[in-house]
Amino acid sequence: MKKIFTPVIALVLLASIFIAGCTPETIIETVIVTEEVVVEKEVIVEVPAEEEDVTVTYFTFSAAPDHLEDLDEMISIFEAENPKIHIEVQTASYDDYFTKLQTRIAGGDAPDVFELNYESFVSYAAKGVLLNLEPFAQADPDYDASIYYQRALDAFNYKGMQLGLPETFSTVMLYYNQDLFDSAGVAYPAADWTWDDVIVAGKSIMEGNDDAWGIHSSIHFWEFYKKAAQNNCQFFNEDQTEVLLTSPECVVALETMISLLDEGVMPTNAEMGGISDGDLFISGDLGMLVSGIWMFSAFEENSFNWDIQVEPGMATQATHFFANAVNVFAGTQNAEAAYKWVKFFTSDPAMAEIRIDSAWELPALNNPDYVVGYLSQSPPENRQAVFDSLEYAIVPPVIERQNEMTDVIGAALDQAVLGIITPLEALEQAKAGIEALLP
Amino acid sequence: MEKNKKVNIKNVFMYIGLIIAAATMLIPFLWMVSTSLKTNQYVLSMPPEFFPKNPTLDSYSQLFELLPFDRMIMNSLLVAISVTIGQVISGSMAAYVFSRLEFRGKNALFLIYLATMMVPSQVTIVPLFILMRYLGWINTYQAIISPMVFTAFGTFLLRQSFLTIPKDLEEAAFIDGASHWTVFWKIIMPVSKPALATLSVFAFMQAWNAYLWPLFVTNDEKIMTLPVGLALLHGRYLTQWNLVMAGAVVTIIPMLIIYLVTQEYFVKGVVTSGIKG
Amino acid sequence: MKKKNQKVWIILFLSPSLFGLLIFVAFPILASLGLTFFEWDMLTPPNFVWFSNFTRLFADENFWLSLKHTLGFILGYIPLVIITSLSAALLLDQKLIGRKFLRTAFFIPVVSAWVAVALLWMWIFNPKFGLLNFLLSLIGIVGPAWLYDPAWAMPAIILTSVWKDTGFFMVMFMAGLQNIPEIYYEASKIDGANRLDRFFRITLPLLSPVTFFVTIMALINSFQVFDQVWIMTKGGPAGATSVVVEQIVKNAFSYSRMGYASTISWALFIMVFSATLIQMWAQKRWVNY
Repeated sequence: MKKIFTPVIALVLLASIFIAGCTPETIIETVIVTEEVVVEKEVIVEVPAEEEDVTVTYFTFSAAPDHLEDLDEMISIFEAENPKIHIEVQTASYDDYFTKLQTRIAGGDAPDVFELNYESFVSYAAKGVLLNLEPFAQADPDYDASIYYQRALDAFNYKGMQLGLPETFSTVMLYYNQDLFDSAGVAYPAADWTWDDVIVAGKSIMEGNDDAWGIHSSIHFWEFYKKAAQNNCQFFNEDQTEVLLTSPECVVALETMISLLDEGVMPTNAEMGGISDGDLFISGDLGMLVSGIWMFSAFEENSFNWDIQVEPGMATQATHFFANAVNVFAGTQNAEAAYKWVKFFTSDPAMAEIRIDSAWELPALNNPDYVVGYLSQSPPENRQAVFDSLEYAIVPPVIERQNEMTDVIGAALDQAVLGIITPLEALEQAKAGIEALLP
Repeated sequence: MEKNKKVNIKNVFMYIGLIIAAATMLIPFLWMVSTSLKTNQYVLSMPPEFFPKNPTLDSYSQLFELLPFDRMIMNSLLVAISVTIGQVISGSMAAYVFSRLEFRGKNALFLIYLATMMVPSQVTIVPLFILMRYLGWINTYQAIISPMVFTAFGTFLLRQSFLTIPKDLEEAAFIDGASHWTVFWKIIMPVSKPALATLSVFAFMQAWNAYLWPLFVTNDEKIMTLPVGLALLHGRYLTQWNLVMAGAVVTIIPMLIIYLVTQEYFVKGVVTSGIKG
Repeated sequence: MKKKNQKVWIILFLSPSLFGLLIFVAFPILASLGLTFFEWDMLTPPNFVWFSNFTRLFADENFWLSLKHTLGFILGYIPLVIITSLSAALLLDQKLIGRKFLRTAFFIPVVSAWVAVALLWMWIFNPKFGLLNFLLSLIGIVGPAWLYDPAWAMPAIILTSVWKDTGFFMVMFMAGLQNIPEIYYEASKIDGANRLDRFFRITLPLLSPVTFFVTIMALINSFQVFDQVWIMTKGGPAGATSVVVEQIVKNAFSYSRMGYASTISWALFIMVFSATLIQMWAQKRWVNY
């Protein structure tokens, strides 16, 4: 008997790990006794279970790490107005977000509400996992479509169904270091500059200043489709059955991008040595930078004067239009409550105020008051350029196999940048790769 | 006297080599610490600065403000300790069977154990997630812990170690009427302290640094482990490296403590005293 | 009596491990095997597609290229890491001053997060300001662009990986060295054996079970190399360091082809398994228990 006893104890020990695991709260709560914990416990005991107390889960990538407090503020306002609805925030960093979202949906643990950006929206919409908000909007007397920035609202309309409401939008600008321009005696960039002007200015800035670089504008898919549009290059024909990337306009567009490297005004990846373009600009050694308006708060503390301008063009001008939306999962159990949250989070004035005050991205709303508030902040001074950019805004070309197309083009661009193949060869390679992806 | 001189020069060279090697191992740690003491402005300059101009402990306090950091530390501790205990117990018992008992299909079964380590976890993660959903274990500690307890690593390591223990010791015990349990507990285990210490360190490390699986299976910040929580510090466009490094430094320290503690067990096994030459 | 008891003991000792392994490890693995016959975007139910994932695999240039790079990594990494870790274990097995400190120093890279390690090595490999090219310039060599040069990026990653993992395998070897009885060494000294003799005739053979473990684990891990590649080069420059697991991750989560990703995983499995079988057959020749 004794001989069997001790092994059984061992098995019991092992099993107890699971039992212990089953009641995690008691273990942790006894170790960390904080006021917060005690209060939570009391609340659960005191409030009797009323009918229709609903919890809506909201999965987001844009809140952590800097804006969790802002989000909490918005939630408390919402919950005060909607006492029976409780919002539970779940966060992930942008790099992991989509992997996690797909896994959760695949595993049947989908959040009720989640964020999507434009590129990913299309594939989720096509798979039927997003709830059509149109019926809810129709039934809601307070819903007013015109408060939204129309282009943003349209971006998330799929085949006549409003599958998400626009949360924020952003665009990409030309940032420039005024101190470097001043030292070189070069006039600040104007709204109608071309890339030739950029090269001239860049060279002047670098003359006599060994540490400085003229310009940085990344060479990857998202920059390429915009530069292509600047030169009237079309990716596809009307019905997306043919790839037109090898046309002369497209080749010139790519050659222009690479010429920045060839003319020596832009550092190569090797010359950057692992720091980001934003870091380079912050260090004061970069004359001009093409980057998004989301960098405003990162550049606030810059030790030099800087401003923004509409991005230079080629035959014409083209700028980015990026937007994020909040969407409701098609299989949610809490559709009505989820809709209320989505509507509040995308359109409520209190929400917009919090956003603008804490520089947490631009709400996709038409209200000129918010614009005024936004424009009055600085740096940068020339915030009007953000809205001027929108005149030339374009959306990315989208196909069903979007990520594969992005990678195919990226691979071709990488090789062209390294000089392994010519721009024309790169575009031929990209064209072949994309054609294989079309249905 | 001449022989001593020769030996000394060799030793000196060896020492120099070791010290250089050790220095290369230590430099990243020092750089991590120095980066964590910087203010974000100066963090990523090229060439990098090793000595911060105005060292500050701000990053560390910010960590605690931005995230429920103390909670995450406790979560990681709970997970890592449970996984270590689980791996040591289940692994050693299985290793005992594979190294000392016989049954038909033993080698085939061991091969299966090995084989389970050869399929990349990135694809098994989704079926595992679905399994957890089915068990109702999403966002629980047992979901994080279980897959890590039952990997074949511990069994493999301990089996190899147990195989080096000569059978003479047990023979005597069996003749005296000892059961397998007694042999396991009183002879094999005490003699395997170095291997058990090694397994403990690595099981703890695997659980402590685990990222992908805890990321997938936890939704709630209250239950997140350190690596998952620290990943939230990576912004979409810009990362505050001083915060990231502060988090990395905090993550390393318990691991070093565990390592130092288990160093005590790296002593010659008792087996040496029982051999009859 | 003894035989019957044996079975009970076997079941008793084996069941916790086997039970857990079957549920939490084997089941998901078998599920992924099943998935190789489906196409699954994870948002909608899977589609049965017979063998089209396998035909796709044979035609997939990206996969074969990534396999080539992975093999390159393995061939560089494994010999190097075994040599460094075994040497370190042997050197630190002696009674030296500061042995504890040295052993801990070697172990620090193992517990450091790849995020920090990668950043530091990206600086060391920096073409302009990096330590390595600086040291090379002292001997009059102009160093390559390392992580930014398609020809040198993988060697750089191999070097970083060896540096980080040496401590890991060193600890394994150290544990193995502890198990070699002093008596053997003493007896051989009496017989007049020198250091090299003792190493090749006592240490190496008695260490062989551990060496076998180290080789197998290094093989299994290096076939699945991913984290450091992803952080240091993201598979670049121009795809020069793309590895198999990267293809798996891309297909599973970026391209919505979970079924195909599983297929790649199983192709990888077959290769690792075969390599292990070869090792195990070879072990009969050189491993002593």
